[in-house]
Amino acid sequence: MSSKESCRNELRAAIRQLSDRCLYSASKWAAEQLVGIEQDPAKFTPSNTRFQRGSSSIRRRFRTNEITSTPPTGVAYVSTPVMEEDEAIHGDFYLLAKSYFDCREYRRAAHVLRDQTGKKSVFLRCYALYLAGEKRKEEETIELEGPLGKSDAVNRELVSVERELSTLSKNNMIDPFGLYLYGLVLKEKGNENLARKVLVESVNSYPWNWSAWSELQSLCTTVDILNSLNLSNHWMKEFFLASVYQELRMHNESLSKYENLQGTFTFSNYIQAQIGKAQYSLREFDQVEVIFEDLLRNDPYRVEDMDTYSNVLYTKEYFSALSYLAHRVIMTDKYRPESCCIIGNYYSLKGLHEKSVMYFRRALKLNKKYLSAWTLMGHEFVEMKNTPAAVDAYRRAVDINPRDYRAWYGLGQAYEMMGMPHYALHYFQKSVFFQPIDSRLWIAMAQCYESEQLHMLEEAIKCYKRAANCNDTEAIALHRLAELHRELGHPEEAAFYYKKDLERMEAEEREGPNTVEALTFLATHYKTQRRFEEAEVYCTRLLDYTGPERETAKSLLRGMRIAQSGFPSMDVEHFHP
Amino acid sequence: MAGVVKGPGAFAITPHKVSLCILVHTYASPSQISVPFPFSSVSQHNRLGLYLLALTKSCDDILEPKLDQLINQLREIGGLLDDWLTDHITSRLSSLSSPDDLFNFFNELRETLGGPDSGVMDDDQVILDPSSNLGVFLRRCILAFNLLTFEGICHLLTNIGIYCKEAISSSSYEHRLDDSGNDLESLSEYENMDLNLVFKKINEEMEARKKATEQVSFHLHLPKDLSTLVEDVEVFADSKPEHNEKGRESSSYASGDLLRDVDPDGGVFLRTNWQIQGYLMEQADTIEKHDSSFTFNAFELTLRQLQKLAPEFHRVHFLRYLNNLYHDEYFSALENLHRYFDYSAGTEGFDFVPPAGCKDFGRFEIALLCLGMMQFHFGHPKKALEVLTEAVLVSQQHCNDTCLAYTLAAICNLLSEIGFSTTSGILGSPFSPMTNVGTSLSVQQQLFVLLKGSLKRAESLKLKQLIAANNLAMAKFGLTHVQRPLLSFGPKTSMKLRTCPIIVCKELRSGYHLISDFCCEGSTMTTDGAFSTAWLKNLQKPMGSLVMSQDNGSRNNSNPFLFFTQPSSIPGSVLQLVGSSYLHRATAWEMYGSAPLARVNALVYATCFADASSSSDAAVVHVKLIQHLAAFKGYKEAFAALKIAEEKFLCASKSRILILKLQLLHERALHRGHLKLAQQVCDELGVLASSVTSVDLELKTEASLRHARTLLAAKQFSQAAAVAHSLFCMCYKFNLQVESAAVLLLLAEIHMKSGNAVVGLPYALASLSYCQSFNLDLLRASATLTLAELWLSLGSNHTKNALTLLHGAFPMILGHGGLELCARAYITEAKCYLSDPSFSVSDNPELVLDPLRQAADELQALEYHELMAEAFYLMAIVYGKLGKLQQREEAASSFKNHIIALDHPHDVDDPILS
Repeated sequence: MSSKESCRNELRAAIRQLSDRCLYSASKWAAEQLVGIEQDPAKFTPSNTRFQRGSSSIRRRFRTNEITSTPPTGVAYVSTPVMEEDEAIHGDFYLLAKSYFDCREYRRAAHVLRDQTGKKSVFLRCYALYLAGEKRKEEETIELEGPLGKSDAVNRELVSVERELSTLSKNNMIDPFGLYLYGLVLKEKGNENLARKVLVESVNSYPWNWSAWSELQSLCTTVDILNSLNLSNHWMKEFFLASVYQELRMHNESLSKYENLQGTFTFSNYIQAQIGKAQYSLREFDQVEVIFEDLLRNDPYRVEDMDTYSNVLYTKEYFSALSYLAHRVIMTDKYRPESCCIIGNYYSLKGLHEKSVMYFRRALKLNKKYLSAWTLMGHEFVEMKNTPAAVDAYRRAVDINPRDYRAWYGLGQAYEMMGMPHYALHYFQKSVFFQPIDSRLWIAMAQCYESEQLHMLEEAIKCYKRAANCNDTEAIALHRLAELHRELGHPEEAAFYYKKDLERMEAEEREGPNTVEALTFLATHYKTQRRFEEAEVYCTRLLDYTGPERETAKSLLRGMRIAQSGFPSMDVEHFHP
Repeated sequence: MAGVVKGPGAFAITPHKVSLCILVHTYASPSQISVPFPFSSVSQHNRLGLYLLALTKSCDDILEPKLDQLINQLREIGGLLDDWLTDHITSRLSSLSSPDDLFNFFNELRETLGGPDSGVMDDDQVILDPSSNLGVFLRRCILAFNLLTFEGICHLLTNIGIYCKEAISSSSYEHRLDDSGNDLESLSEYENMDLNLVFKKINEEMEARKKATEQVSFHLHLPKDLSTLVEDVEVFADSKPEHNEKGRESSSYASGDLLRDVDPDGGVFLRTNWQIQGYLMEQADTIEKHDSSFTFNAFELTLRQLQKLAPEFHRVHFLRYLNNLYHDEYFSALENLHRYFDYSAGTEGFDFVPPAGCKDFGRFEIALLCLGMMQFHFGHPKKALEVLTEAVLVSQQHCNDTCLAYTLAAICNLLSEIGFSTTSGILGSPFSPMTNVGTSLSVQQQLFVLLKGSLKRAESLKLKQLIAANNLAMAKFGLTHVQRPLLSFGPKTSMKLRTCPIIVCKELRSGYHLISDFCCEGSTMTTDGAFSTAWLKNLQKPMGSLVMSQDNGSRNNSNPFLFFTQPSSIPGSVLQLVGSSYLHRATAWEMYGSAPLARVNALVYATCFADASSSSDAAVVHVKLIQHLAAFKGYKEAFAALKIAEEKFLCASKSRILILKLQLLHERALHRGHLKLAQQVCDELGVLASSVTSVDLELKTEASLRHARTLLAAKQFSQAAAVAHSLFCMCYKFNLQVESAAVLLLLAEIHMKSGNAVVGLPYALASLSYCQSFNLDLLRASATLTLAELWLSLGSNHTKNALTLLHGAFPMILGHGGLELCARAYITEAKCYLSDPSFSVSDNPELVLDPLRQAADELQALEYHELMAEAFYLMAIVYGKLGKLQQREEAASSFKNHIIALDHPHDVDDPILS
């Protein structure tokens, strides 16, 4: 990997270029990464490292697989020359336009640059026009919203911007920033293939524009598309791949990429948050909590990705921590969908579902395509016993992203609640299709099959088997498997699963009615099999418990002794003292 | 948004509505004379009123017309006033240049309306009644305008500007449209790829369809020109005007939309909710009527646009489901069905009032009902039954009696269509209240109980159409099942184990009541809307001839018909039901053996109910008529008719027409002795059936019956007997008793031909007894004939017996039998006489010769060489005995010709090839 120093230099130049072109979020991202690079302690005074957190002990604890020691990957990185600034002649107009732009007076900015032909000016003019159109579109969406949700407000500048940019690109008069904007416009118009092509061209010639990468990422909906992209090597590509993998639910791949990147960008908040999100998808809640706590300590006013953190707090039922987080984000920025979502989570945890729905609604008002808000709102409606509304909310989530297994699962649950197990199966099947490694989904499906109406036990067994194979934390599957086999009269299989369940309970040091049940069955089973030694072991273990099972164990033992000693089986009770 | 249901009566003010308001204002301008200013006569005045009424109601599209379309229509309407009206509208519209003009305009409109207390008014004064249709329209417009925000008014103003501009530049608009066809380069710059793809798809679809038909014909060695008949839409354009108009229209819209989509300024406005609902309903009807010829992608395009314009209009998903269903797209159909019910909770679009006190829970049982019927449609009876069972449970749980009644009817339909071999465990516990006799009953008995229960339920709920449908189902059941007493114990009343034609007739007839006293389960919306649509379409005709439009031979002959029938306002679904009772009658008569009555009923259906019938019913009736032709007039005419039918119904795979074609080809191949072809056709027929057991039973029986026949013709008796035997086993297993009778008869024939007449006798007798208990008179006559043949082949001392049997069956055979049956009877009669030792030819030659001649005549049409050869052989012998040498030679040479033709089937020219 190129040295930290060269990364740093590249980023420094890029930040200047990006903010000069008013690509603020990209420059923000670049600056974050710049500060995230580990400083050479020899060169800098402690005041320089003030913002860096080498001191985080908790993080160290979880980084067992010592990333820092990972050698730079053997990929040959193409080092792209940093671009030269092209014009200085009409610089004054540009400065004026940029000031207008910074004051969000986009049309004015575009107007100032109307006769400029330099690449930079052309870009800024088109970009300003595009943003002006976007702004107007947002306004019109609200003005025009019809009773049936008609929202055909379009960015009216798209056509002219596209026309200009396509002419420029035909004549090869376009720089990477122009290409980025061109790609953006093409994507908006639905011309995805060309948009991908243009964006790839843009990032290949200027890799430091994270906005271009993110646009490209949103166009990579399948692995095949990703593989078909012709991207030249650069360390920015690693960021891109990590992010795409995450979106494509390849969490482990994504995680390893991020951990690799952490070798260079040790203190990047961005990477840390992404790792947190990936771990969340892998359901490693303890780690996620630690990561986000650390993140908040260093970046207390962060709102991005905090909804994931709130989900973790919700699952762990940390009331006060969640309320603290909610308070914090609301002070920082009240009108962010994430903030609303966090508050919604808080109210949901408190059992105030109406209020919770209100905040989720607000989140959705701010961002109509906010997937998790739809799903969470569905959960709330389920709690409020308003199933049709829940179904509607889940369905919207699914229509935004058909791969959202949680919403499919929610749909299934809603229908199951209404006593329609057969209908629910369709949704559970969808959900396990997209997330085959989640035991809860398999168990839900199995319970559907088991239901009184369907009573398809064979299918239920198949589902439980899948659930047992994918780390069933609640240990429902093994127990149900054993019971089902017993009911269906397959004693061998039942014994097998009881044994497994027992082993598991031993490993987790749990005890309960299930233990007794398993022991009783195993003892009786082995007795009928005339494998007295094993039977005796289980019987003795049973003797440790109180209740009727103890008596059963006693009588079993007696029966066995008699059978072993060859006595004719006679009334045992008779000899009872 | 979830949980927030917006009122269905949403009404937005649009440029088109503004111009309608201008027209209404002109129509009812407050003046003191009975015929206000621009109009010269009362009729002219009324005509404009009618036109405006139609415009507010018609539902032929989802989008509002553009100004130039409006002007064109005005031209038809206005006659002399045309210029004045057009000018008036355009000048009025273009004078609206600031928001204040709009305010003033709507204020002015208010004057047009009479006040609520305007009971007393001059007869002469024209004032719009506020509660009349146009009055309500005007009021809604004014209300919608008043509700607009200032931004909204600004948008309206801009849109009016665009609306006018487009009309003015409409000529250049056309030009652009033309250009776009030629100049692909510029097109690709303007449109998005997506639409391009769709057009490509449409083309591909056409190609694929063409290919599909070609493939079939290839297999059957049919000539090209037959397949070219089905080639494309062009054929329909003339023969059936409205048939493809829809597809055309939508595709032309599509190309229009293409440009509209491009132009971000283009004002595209949906019509009112009411109109769109009506449009979708009409489309749903059309899909059913012309299933496969209804172009999938064109409609999909419209739906997609509709969805884009009104994302909260969930009906679209249902229509998409229907579209997929009728084009056999299982997965997308399933997906869209689920989506529709997820969004609407089953309440949108169904006229439904939640019962008081019942918590509104959504009508998900309807979802289950639809899903069940869909699974059934796609041939998954087991799944369908599971889903429907769930539907029963859920509707019981939520006291939705209507849904329960429909679900029960659907289950009955399922049970009667699908063969179930097991007797228990099909209908589970939820049915115990219905089938309270217990589950020890056979499937048929359970079905009967269920049918009764369903009928009773429908009657108590007064669901007229469901009652009629249930009556039909009962008739169908009575046709093929002997009613046994349900109790297996207790005093047994003496009961004849026979089907009861009287009950069948009664059930069928009770369906007719529907037409006299139907009350609208459907809605008045469609009839109203459809009327307006038809009215607007008729505008293209010369003025004045509207009512008396009898312009003979004009292309759209069907339109005046439409015009007259639609307002009579019998909903299409009722007509369909009544029609299908005729269809059932035809089938019943076919089975009971009255050819003329069967034909008459089929003809009644084809002439009176063709407009309302679904495409599958229409195909059935065509099949019946063509089969009749084949049996009574020979193949030439049958194939000619088939050609017409094929034109009418696009030859989709597995369609009834295709099956019919294969049947006819098989029969003719058998008769001509072209056994290889026969076997091939027979195999193709078998392939059409689904591989799932108990599905497509009818087709499966048909195929293996024909297989056995082919083997018999090839003189492979043991194999034929084996096939027939296994077929009989299947029929027995699935309780197909009517088919069993035919199979038994075939077995008798096989044994007779193989020379084992004694073995054949019991089969023939068994078949006879089946025929008796199911009242299959024609089949019975044919069984009697076979029996006579069997006796005859037992030796000459049985001829008397055979002759008696034959003469007993003659009236039925000659009255109702087809050509083949009659010919066989004649030949058998002659053979009887000839083998009777007491009969001398020279005494009474005509007694033998006459039937033989008759037989030869009738067989001519069928080209049945084998039987013909036999007839001529017998004739030659008779002539020989009589000493008429010349005639003998003639007969002998005919005999030779047929034998040769039988041996060289390929030499015969094929009329279907020519």
